[in-house]
Amino acid sequence: MRNLLLYMAILIGVASPQWLVAQEKTITGRIVDANGNPVAATSIFVVQTSHGTTTDAEGRFKINVPANATLTITATGFKSQTIKVTENLNDVQVKLEEDVTKLDEIVVTGLATSVKRRNLANSVATISAKELNGIAPPQTFDAALEGKIPGAYTNMNTGAPGGGMSVKLRGVTSVYGTTQPLYVVDGVFMDNSTTSAGLNFVTNAQGGGSITSNQDNPSNRISDLRPEDVENIEILKGASAAAIYGSKAAAGVVIITTKRGKQGRTKISISQDLGFVKARKLIGVRTFTADRAASLGGTDTALSAALRDQFLQAEAAGHIYDYEKEIYGNTGFARNTVLSINGGTDKTDFYFSAAQKDEQGIVKNTGFRNTSLRLNVDHKINDNIKIGVSTNYINGSNDRGLTGNDNAGVTFGIALAFTPSFAELHPDSKGNFPNNPFSASNPLQTIALMRNNESINRFLTGINIDAILHRSRTSLTRFVARGGFDFYHLATDAQFPAALQFQTVNKGTSLQGSTQNLNTNFILSLVNTLNPNEKLSLITSAGITQETGDYDNLLNVATQVIAGQSNVNQAGALTATQFRAKFQNSGFFAQEEATLIDAITLTGGIRFDRSSNNGDAGKYYAYPKAGLSWNLSKMDFWKSNLIDNLKLRAAYGQASNVPAYGSKFTSMVVSNMAGYPGSIVDVQQGEPGIKPERQTELEAGFDVSLLNGRLGFEFTYYRKYIYDFLMQNNLQPSSGFTTQWLNAGDLRNQGVEIGLNAQPVSTRKIRWNTSVNFWLNRSLVTRLTIPPVPQGAFGLVIGAFQIEQGKSATQILGIGGPGGSIATWGDQEPRFQMNTYNEITFFNKLSLRFLIHWKKGGDNINLTNLQSDFGQTSVDFDKVTNKQGIPDGYYRLSQIGVTAQQFVQDASYLRFREIGLYYSFTKLPVRYVTGLRLGVSLNNYFTITKYKSYDPEVSNFGTGFSTGVDVDPYPATKRADFHITIDF
Amino acid sequence: MKRTLDLYIIFLISLSFTFTACKKEYGNLNNPTVEDFLLNASRDQLNNLVIGTASGMRNNLGLYLDNVGVIGREIYRFSGAEPRYTTDLLGAGSSTLGNNNFYITNPWAARYRVVKNCNTLIESATGSSSISAAEKSGYIGFARTIKAYQLLLNLNLTDSNGIRVDVADPAKLGSIVDLNTALTDISNLLDSAKTDFAGATVSFPLPGFDGFNDAAGLLEFNRALAARVAIYRQQWSDALTDLNESFFDLNGDFYIGLSHVFGTGSGDQLNPAFFPQNQNGEVRLAHPSFAADIEANDDRIGKATLRNAPASNSGLSSNRDVWVYTSSTAPIYIIRNEELILIYAEAKIQTNQLPDAVAALNRIRVSHNLAPYGGAVTQNALITEMLNQRRYSLFAEGHRWIDMRRYNLLSQLPIDRPEDDVWTEFPLPLTEQ
Repeated sequence: MRNLLLYMAILIGVASPQWLVAQEKTITGRIVDANGNPVAATSIFVVQTSHGTTTDAEGRFKINVPANATLTITATGFKSQTIKVTENLNDVQVKLEEDVTKLDEIVVTGLATSVKRRNLANSVATISAKELNGIAPPQTFDAALEGKIPGAYTNMNTGAPGGGMSVKLRGVTSVYGTTQPLYVVDGVFMDNSTTSAGLNFVTNAQGGGSITSNQDNPSNRISDLRPEDVENIEILKGASAAAIYGSKAAAGVVIITTKRGKQGRTKISISQDLGFVKARKLIGVRTFTADRAASLGGTDTALSAALRDQFLQAEAAGHIYDYEKEIYGNTGFARNTVLSINGGTDKTDFYFSAAQKDEQGIVKNTGFRNTSLRLNVDHKINDNIKIGVSTNYINGSNDRGLTGNDNAGVTFGIALAFTPSFAELHPDSKGNFPNNPFSASNPLQTIALMRNNESINRFLTGINIDAILHRSRTSLTRFVARGGFDFYHLATDAQFPAALQFQTVNKGTSLQGSTQNLNTNFILSLVNTLNPNEKLSLITSAGITQETGDYDNLLNVATQVIAGQSNVNQAGALTATQFRAKFQNSGFFAQEEATLIDAITLTGGIRFDRSSNNGDAGKYYAYPKAGLSWNLSKMDFWKSNLIDNLKLRAAYGQASNVPAYGSKFTSMVVSNMAGYPGSIVDVQQGEPGIKPERQTELEAGFDVSLLNGRLGFEFTYYRKYIYDFLMQNNLQPSSGFTTQWLNAGDLRNQGVEIGLNAQPVSTRKIRWNTSVNFWLNRSLVTRLTIPPVPQGAFGLVIGAFQIEQGKSATQILGIGGPGGSIATWGDQEPRFQMNTYNEITFFNKLSLRFLIHWKKGGDNINLTNLQSDFGQTSVDFDKVTNKQGIPDGYYRLSQIGVTAQQFVQDASYLRFREIGLYYSFTKLPVRYVTGLRLGVSLNNYFTITKYKSYDPEVSNFGTGFSTGVDVDPYPATKRADFHITIDF
Repeated sequence: MKRTLDLYIIFLISLSFTFTACKKEYGNLNNPTVEDFLLNASRDQLNNLVIGTASGMRNNLGLYLDNVGVIGREIYRFSGAEPRYTTDLLGAGSSTLGNNNFYITNPWAARYRVVKNCNTLIESATGSSSISAAEKSGYIGFARTIKAYQLLLNLNLTDSNGIRVDVADPAKLGSIVDLNTALTDISNLLDSAKTDFAGATVSFPLPGFDGFNDAAGLLEFNRALAARVAIYRQQWSDALTDLNESFFDLNGDFYIGLSHVFGTGSGDQLNPAFFPQNQNGEVRLAHPSFAADIEANDDRIGKATLRNAPASNSGLSSNRDVWVYTSSTAPIYIIRNEELILIYAEAKIQTNQLPDAVAALNRIRVSHNLAPYGGAVTQNALITEMLNQRRYSLFAEGHRWIDMRRYNLLSQLPIDRPEDDVWTEFPLPLTEQ
């Protein structure tokens, strides 16, 4: 508290002279780009004041300015310019240059402050609307981030409709805490949790009879957001940039700004996409012969003979099938319609969009639908007070099928792995499916009769108030309030009717989940900008913050369900569970940013936060930050003609991750019997003294721009420590507990990010913009207070992660080392990653855009092939490449229990993530059509990899720490789309 | 102008104080905490702990029966997705039992979780002022009896590797004790519970304990367990004494006894050992030797029904399903009269009272549609006969492997594949060492 008072004293001290009235004149003008096209929404400001205006759709503006003023002209994607107002200047025509190196981009530095990239002390990644959604748009928002964030390890968990993706910024920042960044959409903290539908009740993927598990592969809730609505994304990758977000920012912050209204003529735009979705790759199935069929019987001669007969009969009848193709080989049809309306007056402007997307999956009866309405309104109450409201309603429905790990033989993949091609699974003439004699389920029947649906209704509202409290010639004080809420209701509905082969015990299962979640947050701050003279600029901000969350999940498991019914009361037995979680974090912050001679920027700030999830809910934790950037090229001594911009920068900051809700309690959980209520000690022991895990990050680097801004180069090195990382320790089970949350040790991530932006070709006919990024990360566990034990995956026999002092946090161990020891067989961390984004424009009409992503190294634990080997159905089962000269399938089976090496596989890939070709018509058929664009695009269409499963991007365990475990996933998909956009 | 600013600052500071003042602590929204029970528990809370204990005894019980049944060559457990039932448990190739695999870690932890609940019950009952001393003794006697039984089940798995008996304080666990010490400790625990039941009042509901849910009944249950422990310790005359105080009845119904019951109610469990007949993929099958070795006309063949088609996996095959648990709500017995009759027979053989033993064995034989025993009446011959009757009478109830181990006869269990092994015990879980 004292710090805040101290800070306030400074604030009062700096608030100084009064507004000086000067002689004014009116200037009009037009802003155009290099090709003479108007640039709308360009900001024109009088230097050192907050007085300004923006251009209309024709690029025109009009502004009253004091004589001898200087105007700055800034527009997204262009270099800014300044104009000295002279006596004769009345009408100006300004041609803006493209900002290839992005030095004039405005980047966030605090909760209510921002700075031009040329003065930024951090490396902040940005993704523009065009990069996000203008190349080859994927199904969901999260997938649209893939391969586009330098410094991130993005991984799609599943190909199931609705996605599910993991984004890890600069390495793993937590083992058992949140590894996923905080998403902030127009100031609202958008929930990105996943909710299990209770599929584990059917799959028993995680044994022990639990209903929910982290192997249910639900979608991430950030996928609800519409990429079409996004204007810009800024990514704060570590604590040095994100410290001001305090206790929720340890895994980074993704700040999403949606489109706002633009002053001028109301513009209506309709776009339609049509396309199809296919599996990226099918693995293939074993070709059976009579001998191979007989070999399935093992040593049982009678069974072998029966299998041989079965094969011969099936072969004679032509009933040999490729079930993989029947299940995963379908083509899904996809459509997407977006209507947007955008306009405004000098006081009020708005952006409205209505969009619907409907897609089929590659498995029958699976699919994705999303309907979204957005209205963003900004209004100027007077010259001093602006209010902005962003609202978004989302309705979504995903049918995700049943895939992934399973101990009951019921998922599509596991059933497929055990079903040879000569089995008959097709329904008879009456529509009855036969039982699958080779597995616990008939996957064709399962697909036809089951349902696994997630449907969501979500409402987000963000409010932004910006009021000028005081203004003078040199000082401007604003009150900035930002906040909002994110409410959703998620219904999960999984149906397994009694007719299914595997429902002989439960005779019909209905899993009905209902989840309500409300997140609210606000930031109230005061921001003072002080320019005592041209050589010094000070931005001071301080304020208070609060975030709350209230999650309530009800899950009903009904069995003995009456045929054709899904309501949970239409059942002979019902088990209900409820889980609630509630938190409140509150804090306050202060930050000072000083810019000297437009070349040196110094930033210092601190945030204090407490959380109801901490052991001590009343204790404030402090998160300081500091940054320094020095733009050498702005110094007087700088004489180079070659290098037009050179900036050195360094930044430091702290952030944290609060413990999971409830980790401080030792609970008594319900365990009933014969209608009597019972309580039993939970397997997790509470830790009353649990603390947040704390991250400190130091990053340093330099930015260079050459050849008059046509070539830019960025280099960043970072090193971050995570202290007291949270872990679920395995206790000695004889204590009655198996796990306990605790602050178990420290780990370090360090890495390098190198970026290159260039415009190699810039002629009247052809323009080529390119960016190339390279990044790598290495982690190290520097301290561990508990003995190392295998984490995640399925144990050392088939490969597991293990947190161990002095080792990489993501190492993969397994049996099979020399002398029966445990060996390190791999590491999830990629050796490095690279991407390149290119846009080539021909004659200003035809635009070719593509994104290539290369992940080099990084291992997966591939168990998909193992399952097929167990079922003796793997495509290469009969190949002989091993030294023993037996079929590879048998050889691999013989190696189980000997070594885990065969399961830990290099998951490198080179992927053409997105390719798009777009044509803009300049001659339009009718007057009321103002724009027409056609395009075709390919998403994830070409992949070069040696990885032996559906796709190297996979995660059986969802978005947690242990990504890259591959157990018969829903195969990854690729897509091709045709696009048409008409503007009115 | 300075005044306006001051006003805003005062506003902001007072706001932050407001937040400082209202510190939020939501508590546990989902469950009671252990502390809620330890502070003067009510009768209802103690009864909740009793039910939680009885209910928790069923956790991972199916896996325990699989472990003991598969290694004891009573059953095969085939699973589409879990190969370790046919690799590790049977010692296929060079596979051995791992110390961090589900088959040992899960049942081991489940039993100790119940032990923890029993300790919580003892502590809560002791600290409760709302119940009488007699009621207190009832709760404590029940808790000690169940604790002893749970420890015995874990000891059955790890045998000479021992178990931990003193686990009252999670932060200061006692050391691992060897087999004989553990058996003595378990026996002493049962004896102290016996003392508790003298003069105790038992008024809590106990599903599955029909006919035994009072102090006298629980004492009979306690002594039945004591008789089982006594034969494990080869204390034959103690076994006979214990049987006399138990519900042992030479001519009584074989299925008089105590069981785990199952139901479809909310928060309840289904019988994990129930597998419908003629399933594929996930199956429990009778080991082929069960049918091969059974005497003609033995009605216990009904415990392993013929399948429509044999099931096979990894070179193993059987054409009979295990059909001991015939519905998803069928009970799993903790201990029943048929076992007590066989304990009686065993103790009589070992104390050389052979005619009594033959009478008891004939009670079993005749009831199962067999002719009275016609073999040699010697200790050795009768031990063989007794073990054989135990094999069929207690099929798939978790005894065969332990019985053969007690008599050092594991080498007589059939090996299906040349490189298979018959394990004598499970290693202690990795996290326990």
